[in-house]
Amino acid sequence: MSREESIVRTFVELTDTLVEDFDVVELLTVLAARCVDVLDVAAAGLMLVNADGELRVIASSSEAMRLLELFELQSEEGPCTECFATGVATVHPRLTEGDLRWPRFAPRALEVGFHSVHALPMRLRGQTIGALNLFRIDNGSLTEADLSTAQAFADVATIAMLQNRAASEAQAVNDQLNHALNSRVVIEQAKGMVAERDGLDMEHSFRRLRAYARSNNLRLVDVACSVIDGSLVAASLDPKVARRDV
Amino acid sequence: MADDRRLRILAHLLGDESELENVRLCEVCAEVTGMSGAGIMLMAGDVPQGSLCTSDKVSAFIEEAQFAFGEGPCVDAYHSDLPVLEPDLANPATSRWMAFTGPAVDAGVRAIFGFPLHMGGVRLGALNLYRDAPGALTDEQYADALAIADIATRAVLVMQSNAPLGQMATELASGAHFEYVVHQASGMVAAQLGVSVGQALIRLRAYAFGNARPLRAVAEDVVARRLRFDDASGEQDPT
Repeated sequence: MSREESIVRTFVELTDTLVEDFDVVELLTVLAARCVDVLDVAAAGLMLVNADGELRVIASSSEAMRLLELFELQSEEGPCTECFATGVATVHPRLTEGDLRWPRFAPRALEVGFHSVHALPMRLRGQTIGALNLFRIDNGSLTEADLSTAQAFADVATIAMLQNRAASEAQAVNDQLNHALNSRVVIEQAKGMVAERDGLDMEHSFRRLRAYARSNNLRLVDVACSVIDGSLVAASLDPKVARRDV
Repeated sequence: MADDRRLRILAHLLGDESELENVRLCEVCAEVTGMSGAGIMLMAGDVPQGSLCTSDKVSAFIEEAQFAFGEGPCVDAYHSDLPVLEPDLANPATSRWMAFTGPAVDAGVRAIFGFPLHMGGVRLGALNLYRDAPGALTDEQYADALAIADIATRAVLVMQSNAPLGQMATELASGAHFEYVVHQASGMVAAQLGVSVGQALIRLRAYAFGNARPLRAVAEDVVARRLRFDDASGEQDPT
């Protein structure tokens, strides 16, 4: 497969995950693997910020990469943390033992054979949600072509994740709205049933349902559902009848 | 281009007010698309729940008729998740909406269009636009309708997102119209006939259609105990 074909295939894979069974870890695992396939890098990894604003390692192309990224988070220094903090691409083309920029991170990276690192932000309209780490065996920077391809991969993955997040938030709000609408309908239906059976008007029917719910420590909507499905007979809501039963 | 369209609609929507209101939302839907009126129907559990807003009396009637008959452009747009276009309701190319069409034409509706309110896989209901003269939407009107359906969806979700759990947001509920009396009547008829509330609603709808009366009026009669469904003589006025 040519480089162009690989790039196109990667974009298709990244956008495919928009459709169904979307899984963030899977998306980012694909992204890390394709970076290694397509770009001149030995390893790739992704970190995302969680709800508390802390970075977490989500996907890595190799175990050595994963351990190094975990170390980066622990020591709070390195390309990904710096890139996330600044929101712009970070590059260190020549890691050294006595590194002044990242004194703890650089020796660990060299130990597992990485000599140069890049980190690209995952951001959309000012919101940075994580970073893509690219590690190389050799010294030196990535070519412009590789850098822009990597950033495009990161951008597409970011859009996929933000869209998925927006869609699931919308789903939750809509579920809540549906629930509120349905609850109200069920309560009105139960009011009608109790009103008919006990010869009450709607106001008194509602009071009876509410009183029953309160004295039995039940939610009004659950009492209404029981009336509707017949498991709670309307007459047993009557406090006079209930007292006689005891 | 698409952003310009949205900005123009938002400017319309906000006007001088900083607070967004339901009714304004429907008025803007009609203004932006150059229609006679607009309404937004909320759906839940695959059935029309009620009307979030309507810009005028005819739109209110359109919403009520769709609720009463369980059919119409909003119901179809919601179920198909696609725009439903009827440029000539009085002389449609293909006849549909057996119960809805006649009363809607009588009310002055000549062209009617339904647009789903959706975001990703989330479906809220549908926007209905009508005009008192027949004719298809222009490309520009069609694009505006899609954009405003999208904005209305977001507006509903934003308003509802601040609501207490299990409740509808007060901003949404004010100005909205839900046929509560129909649900109360369903409960009463279910008790009268010993059937489920779903079956009772079907009986109410059938009675309203058979007697050419609005469903709400029939429901009001049931709740006021002017009409029973368990008479031996059938569903007749006791007087």
